Amino acid sequence: MSISPEQLRYLESHEWAYVSDQAAGVVTIGISAFAVEQLTDLVFMALPKVGQEVSAGAEFGEVESVKAVSPMYSPVSGTVVEVNSGLVDRLESLNVDPYNDGWIMKVKMSDSSDLAGLLDWVSYKHQCDHA
Amino acid sequence: MERRGVVVVDPPLSGIINMEKDDALLANATPDSPIVVRLYRWSEPTLSLGHFQEIEGRSEVAGLENASWVRRRTGGGAILHDFELTYSVVIPDVGDKVLKGHSESLYRSVHLTLADELRRLGWDANLSEECTCSTSPNRNSEPFLCFSRRSPVDLLVGPYKIMGSAQRRTSKGLLQHGSLLLRHSPLTPGLAGLLDIERTRGADMRGESTRVVFAGRRVAGPVEMTSTDVPAGQSVIDRGEELLATESVHSGQHESDLHSLSFWVELLTSVLKRSVETEVRCRWES
Repeated sequence: MSISPEQLRYLESHEWAYVSDQAAGVVTIGISAFAVEQLTDLVFMALPKVGQEVSAGAEFGEVESVKAVSPMYSPVSGTVVEVNSGLVDRLESLNVDPYNDGWIMKVKMSDSSDLAGLLDWVSYKHQCDHA
Repeated sequence: MERRGVVVVDPPLSGIINMEKDDALLANATPDSPIVVRLYRWSEPTLSLGHFQEIEGRSEVAGLENASWVRRRTGGGAILHDFELTYSVVIPDVGDKVLKGHSESLYRSVHLTLADELRRLGWDANLSEECTCSTSPNRNSEPFLCFSRRSPVDLLVGPYKIMGSAQRRTSKGLLQHGSLLLRHSPLTPGLAGLLDIERTRGADMRGESTRVVFAGRRVAGPVEMTSTDVPAGQSVIDRGEELLATESVHSGQHESDLHSLSFWVELLTSVLKRSVETEVRCRWES
């Protein structure tokens, strides 16, 4: 099933979250098309490791565009259960489909209330439109 | 909102200390911190690697095997800091998380402003408008050295890249590094510096158009810049004067000005102040 941006929740810093397994409390996480556009040409991404603990609002990885290094922040707290390890070798997929093929990691949430603090699509789009 | 700014001109320092200073400026930045423009040189020829670069990559460049090296927090390719002038700009975040990634407008602004100054001095300076970047599977497919790469906003004089900049953005703010290559290094003889390149036309060094006068050039804005004192006898200027005066490739009246590091420190300081002021006013304050 294809995920569309309207279905997602967002951090102001442009990471998205999608509850991909409600029963297991697993959230799929990536960065938005707006972020990819702002970053321009991506050349490298430092991904987290499976088993790594992440915290809501804290850095979980880094992305390098042509000359800039930027952090990526986790929308939720929990444990990384899966990483899209092949993404590093095909970063162009983030330009094509950042919400499906360009997912970055899956996190088993430790506190599902983290989701309530995220922006919905309308609020996030408003932020981007006024950036 | 009024934001303060400060200009720091440091004496030549080791690579580790130079990077620690910039890291600390970014790590300790708060919304109330001043914007910092720092100009510095290096106490020995030093290779600074882009944040994700591997040191093994230097094997592709003959002569760098034994060079001291340090890693930058900013991205991009490796730079050999020898006959060059380095700058850093730290702009603290004031609570906006609007942009991820780089703010290309800042280094475009710095490079365009410097290009304008160099054209006034007679050099054929322009932005690159080409790119060697790639999203290919192997990020090492780009040349190891920054000055062998091209991105659209790099500053070229003729075919030679003489300034490149790179950034790091954190929740604390933005760090931008840049390097003005003044003269080629014996370790990288294939990379021409600005003073190795003939000017395409003469410039009247006495004329107002070629002089840098902070007061006259300063754009009134919210950023107040003040220069710090440079300790006498150990400043970058003192050491640089010797380095740059070793050779002259130009001829003409008042050429000695171009071989004075203090001239370039002053010029680059002016360029950075104007660019930061414009950027802050147009972007951060909007």
